Amino acid sequence: MGTKNMEAAAKHQIISGKPIVGGIVLGLTRLVWPGDIHITEVTVPAAGVKKEVKSLDLAVEATVGELQELQKSALKKMGGPVAKIFEAQLLIASDQDFLTKVKEDIKARRRNAAFVYNEHVVKATAPLKSSHDAYIRQMSQDIEAVAERIVAHLSGNSQKLLEFAPNTVVVGKSFSPGEVLSFRQQKVIGFIVKESGPNSHMALIARALYLPVLAIDSLTPAQFRTSVDVILDSMAGKLIISPTGEELSEYQQKRKRLGPALITRIKGLKQIPPETLDGVKVTIATNLTLPGPAEDLLAEYKIPVGLYRSEFLYLSNNRFPDEETQFEHYEQVARRFANTSVVIRTFDLGYDKLTSDAVWPLEDNPALGWRGIRPMLDMKNIFKAQLRAILRASSRKNLKILLPMVSDLAEIEKTKKLIAQVKFELKKKRIPFDENIPLGIMVEIPSAVLMADLLFPKVDFVAIGTNDLTQYVLAADRKNTKVAELYSSFHPAVLKMIYEAVEAAKRNHRPVSVCGEMAGDLLALPFFIGIKIDSLSMTPARIVDLCRMVNKIDSNLLPPLVKAVMASPTAEVVIKRLESFKNALESRKKRS
Amino acid sequence: MIKKTINVQNRLGLHARPAAMIVTTASKYQAELFITKDGMRVNGKSIMGVMMLAAEMGSELLLELDGPDEENAMADIIRVIESKFGEGE
Repeated sequence: MGTKNMEAAAKHQIISGKPIVGGIVLGLTRLVWPGDIHITEVTVPAAGVKKEVKSLDLAVEATVGELQELQKSALKKMGGPVAKIFEAQLLIASDQDFLTKVKEDIKARRRNAAFVYNEHVVKATAPLKSSHDAYIRQMSQDIEAVAERIVAHLSGNSQKLLEFAPNTVVVGKSFSPGEVLSFRQQKVIGFIVKESGPNSHMALIARALYLPVLAIDSLTPAQFRTSVDVILDSMAGKLIISPTGEELSEYQQKRKRLGPALITRIKGLKQIPPETLDGVKVTIATNLTLPGPAEDLLAEYKIPVGLYRSEFLYLSNNRFPDEETQFEHYEQVARRFANTSVVIRTFDLGYDKLTSDAVWPLEDNPALGWRGIRPMLDMKNIFKAQLRAILRASSRKNLKILLPMVSDLAEIEKTKKLIAQVKFELKKKRIPFDENIPLGIMVEIPSAVLMADLLFPKVDFVAIGTNDLTQYVLAADRKNTKVAELYSSFHPAVLKMIYEAVEAAKRNHRPVSVCGEMAGDLLALPFFIGIKIDSLSMTPARIVDLCRMVNKIDSNLLPPLVKAVMASPTAEVVIKRLESFKNALESRKKRS
Repeated sequence: MIKKTINVQNRLGLHARPAAMIVTTASKYQAELFITKDGMRVNGKSIMGVMMLAAEMGSELLLELDGPDEENAMADIIRVIESKFGEGE
């Protein structure tokens, strides 16, 4: 016919999806879509029925063996809560009642085991799959994961071990935890799925293994029949197919700032925590939201978690996670950072952290409304569940509880009462926890600063939230572009508030840290060291730059800078003064 | 043989974990366990069976226990359900 077989290069395309586990990878896709195993209905002669039944027993035995291995491996690499996923699957695989029914059916209808078993599974999962409840749907996924193994053993397909090229991003409908674990062992670097919840068992394991996962609702196998080059950005929630040269270099840079290169750069630091030229140690901590790459290295270098934003568990699922799910997450973080400490901030929702969940009212003034600790104290059962999950994860004595948006003593007292109740309940059940778990408050509302001498003695530590503090002090909504010029954390009024808070902390002998964007800002660093902040908690990407800058500062030179900055009339003047200080530092020869 | 009706009290209902807890608890005893919800009767020692109930919070379950240790079994299973499977709400 003469038509040339044109192999069109895949078109450049950007598809958006739902981030399930955050990360950025560049790779080549490989489609692994279910339905690879085709089950045919075969009539079995009367004499062969016994053999069919026996082969089912063998398939179950083999599957149970596999699951036990995976459970052991998961326990070793990821800890108890993750390993528990396999417990449910083990129960499913060895369910005698179910197996007996299948075997009776094999005998009665004289059909092959794979076909009959699959039929029973389809019948069992039908009512579960149509549920709007993600937890119930998860059950059907666990059942299907087990069924896939059993059927694979029955079809003699269990020997097939998919071989992956390096830098493979696997594309499929969904994957079982076992598959994630074994793919990872074959160096798969990321997953694109059609459906997954962030709390699904698959997500839990992928998160523990630092594998990015992106869920694309409209995913069809046809799009990925042939392998394509992709950039998987499951932090921003997008997939770039056939990236351009520009996109590739942009993302390679991003990966450097977030991924392996960040790791390399941390290794290049002389010491952590960094010291000023005159030997003053400055504690640098990290913020954590959606767990992602580089955590192991942060933990290895004993960089504490200064702020663990727990609300992502809610935001990614549109409902409050149950206590068990929370416990699994907190336990995982506590375990990862066992050699240092983790500050878990209780759910900080409302204002700009909302979902379509009906629980959030429409407010005229969301910034001044039902947010932070306020809704939690109104929803005591949900708050207690979180406190209980945190306490249960605290037996290594490396967790701290941080309360957001505290403006009043009553909020502290009420929370303490709830914590006491939870401690009592746990003691009754003989569940171990940290008796002396430290409790802290975020200082972001002006009244908290003005009443600091009353509030600070009631808690163990304080953390200044500069983002919200700035907007409340200046009465300028940080999300409102019309007043964007008014919002500046370098406004002298804000600096005075911060200074007051730090002084109060010193008076009351409480450690004080800064969270918020300002903590990672090189300009603000000399000011913070000058007023003797105890620690700065920032996004991991900023850590190396801050540490390097600390090394250049002589703290003896700071008092006049602090004085000048606090006496400045406007934010512009403050910034100018900090900038000239910074420029002077950077022109020094680095003493190493 | 003893029977008892009980409601599912935890917010998330009988998903995988609570189902596993019921099955593991019931399996400690000789007595047979059947659970009925909305006319559907399943073997309480079968996790597939219990999962298929898809029992949400508030659903009414009829527990039937039959065997030499049925009293202890019933008490144990009731305790597990009433403690909301350790989920706190």
